[in-house]
Amino acid sequence: MSADGSARPIESGAGPTPPPDPWRARVRNGVVALVLGALTAWSVRGTGFDLGELFSNLKQAQRLIDDSLPPAWGFLPRLWDPFLETLQIAYVSAVVGGLIALPLAVLSARPIAPLRAVYLVSRNAMNLLRTMPDLFWAMLFASAVGFGPFAGTLALSVFTVAVVAKLLSESMEAIDLGVLEAVRASGGGWFETVAYGVLPQVLPQYVSYLLYAFELNIRASVVLGLVGAGGVGVVLKSQLAMFDYARVTMIVLAIFVVVLMIETVSEFARRRLVGEIATGRR
Amino acid sequence: MAADPITFERASVVYGNGVRGLDDVSLTLEPGQFVVVVGLSGAGKSTLLRTINGLVPVTGGDVRLGATSVRDARGGDLRQLRARIGMVFQDYRLVKRLSVLQNVLLGRLAAVPTWRTLLGLWPKEDVAIAQQALEQVGIGDRAHVRASQLSGGQQQRVGIARALAQRPSVILADEPVASLDPITSHRVMEDLVRINRELGITVLINLHFLDLAKQYGERIIGLRQGKLVFDGRGETVTDNDFAEIYGRAMTDDDVLTESS
Amino acid sequence: MSESTTAASSGTGTAGSNSPIPPSRGMGPWVGFGLAALFAWAALTLDVPQDRLLDLPERLARLGGLMFPPDAEYGRESVLPAMLESIQMAWLGTLIGAVLSLPLGLLGARNLFPALGVPIKALLGLIRVVPELLLAIYLVPVVGLGAFAGTLAIGLHSVGMLGKLSNDIVESMDLSPLEAVTACGGGTLENLRYAVMPQVLPEILALWLFRFEINLRASAVLGVVGAGGIGAVLLNNLSYRRFDKAGAVVVVIVVAVLAIDALSGALRKRLVQS
Repeated sequence: MSADGSARPIESGAGPTPPPDPWRARVRNGVVALVLGALTAWSVRGTGFDLGELFSNLKQAQRLIDDSLPPAWGFLPRLWDPFLETLQIAYVSAVVGGLIALPLAVLSARPIAPLRAVYLVSRNAMNLLRTMPDLFWAMLFASAVGFGPFAGTLALSVFTVAVVAKLLSESMEAIDLGVLEAVRASGGGWFETVAYGVLPQVLPQYVSYLLYAFELNIRASVVLGLVGAGGVGVVLKSQLAMFDYARVTMIVLAIFVVVLMIETVSEFARRRLVGEIATGRR
Repeated sequence: MAADPITFERASVVYGNGVRGLDDVSLTLEPGQFVVVVGLSGAGKSTLLRTINGLVPVTGGDVRLGATSVRDARGGDLRQLRARIGMVFQDYRLVKRLSVLQNVLLGRLAAVPTWRTLLGLWPKEDVAIAQQALEQVGIGDRAHVRASQLSGGQQQRVGIARALAQRPSVILADEPVASLDPITSHRVMEDLVRINRELGITVLINLHFLDLAKQYGERIIGLRQGKLVFDGRGETVTDNDFAEIYGRAMTDDDVLTESS
Repeated sequence: MSESTTAASSGTGTAGSNSPIPPSRGMGPWVGFGLAALFAWAALTLDVPQDRLLDLPERLARLGGLMFPPDAEYGRESVLPAMLESIQMAWLGTLIGAVLSLPLGLLGARNLFPALGVPIKALLGLIRVVPELLLAIYLVPVVGLGAFAGTLAIGLHSVGMLGKLSNDIVESMDLSPLEAVTACGGGTLENLRYAVMPQVLPEILALWLFRFEINLRASAVLGVVGAGGIGAVLLNNLSYRRFDKAGAVVVVIVVAVLAIDALSGALRKRLVQS
């Protein structure tokens, strides 16, 4: 930087830069502020947002706290089976979704996809999958195959495919392409190139994304039951319908502890696996 | 403009890890002097400079600017003291995403009420002072460019302008040319000399190139392991003196170039 | 991984001098076998009706046929207002999350405030674990059914992720301007305003936009617990088996999310490049 600065005297550098027109900047900032302000005002009206309401309803808050505490500890043993189902849903869909995501990611990575048309179709399909929230998938699958953990597993599998394929295809686009050329030069076809040139380079990221998807699945699977798609959420929904907040609080506490434990273990594993690569992905 | 001598009274600095940064230094710098500090890296040059504006607090003795004790200055007093002392850094320390003028305006922080600076409502007079400071180092035309777009030499001039905008009585320059090439180095040194002569600002500057020290230093101070080991006039200093300060013979690495 | 393999090879060379760590390569197949066995157990004991697995494609096709073509008029009259409400919830919730997370993002950055890093990061981690839906379950009885409860839930939950990633952004910034601002006589506030914010603001704004995209999806499902937005519309129509109306919901949400993602993504790109 200093070398090229010295090569020419500063006087002969770029010509004087005129001061930016203050009005142009002001008008632009004003318009941006106006648009954001209008958007916010519109949202405040539309959502009935009123912080005063939060404080004027202290009585309800007090009653809720009275109802919720202490949690119904005696209910805890009955949560064991639903929790097991929740974990099964999260794990099975992480594996199924992760396996489907692998080929989809290969097809959605621009330099690796065999044809540009394949790349476009695959990438757009992936983006389309990502637009729908996990619970919407759960509702749709519940309509198709009936209430229960099967619907939840299908929903989270689709969700996992969307997350893992997206992240993995981005990792594949960032790999060292020289290796691909080397494999091709030694006579490898498309499959060999992918198997020996691409996959080894993204394997740590792949495993880390699987763990990340598993964490997301855990968080999603605890609420799947609210739409009838299995797991501990089913119990949560029935207790909520009976306004038994002492039990609801017990369930929420248990969810909190389980999710925290699994996330801690999973995050530790991810960090060990790829150091900082994965942590930047959150 | 400047009337305050800087006085070191048995000043010592011991860092938290036990390293002795400065060891019992007593010294007076007269107003308007151009002083060069030399010594090996780790000899305490940076520490010496930073005790003057309190960036490094002394752990023994005291440093004074005029009648003000740096050691006792706290909070608002310390900030007002720092406002009287400009500082120039080896790596410029500019906020690269801000414009050149905004960087120089930082020199006016202590002179403008906090609520105005936080909202970015700089008074016209202070913007004029900043613009003038940029013109004094010859880059007035670059005021509205992003700092990151300038070359190293120009960035260092912005650093000097920022110090000038403080209207200081002292400028501390910590290895200001160490990241620059020889030609730019001489330009920056000449800027500092001119500021010293024309504005009467005391300049205290750390250098590790001995030929630059000899050429520009009105007074040369040598540090070794935190101790003051040399104090003399620039034109009388000899290679022997330097060998004494460094504790070894001179090498080519210790000079910038033979010619200037 | 390479660390443990070198440890292993040196261990065999010096015959168990100081290498208690078992060679990781030997563990690999066992871990893989264990995970596969776990999968087999989990998949087989999960309550999956065999026949439904086999005729899944047929069932999906049938559902698709019932949903499409969707009820367009219903889409305009009833679904669109609910979608707009979801957008409003997401926008306001993101704003709440942003306002609350910014101070935590700055104070929790280890490079600026070393003492506060651990407690603040722990707090943010705890917030992140509670999904919006669970927060909404407690907010609805207090502020009543509707979008207000959902907005608050989104805002509170967003704080966790926004605060944590703001920490990361601040922790990766260039610290050198801080000393310059201090040397000019600036205090903590001036340092935050001039040395920190100009460096981190574009990334943090981009992060807020990214969270807005996430919150849009979150706000769509909050209706399930009565906290406003489009979720209740889908759930009701599906439970009354009005599939053409449910189809309208799906179309509206896919189009809206795609459009907003594209807009927000373009804005984020501009922010980060500047």
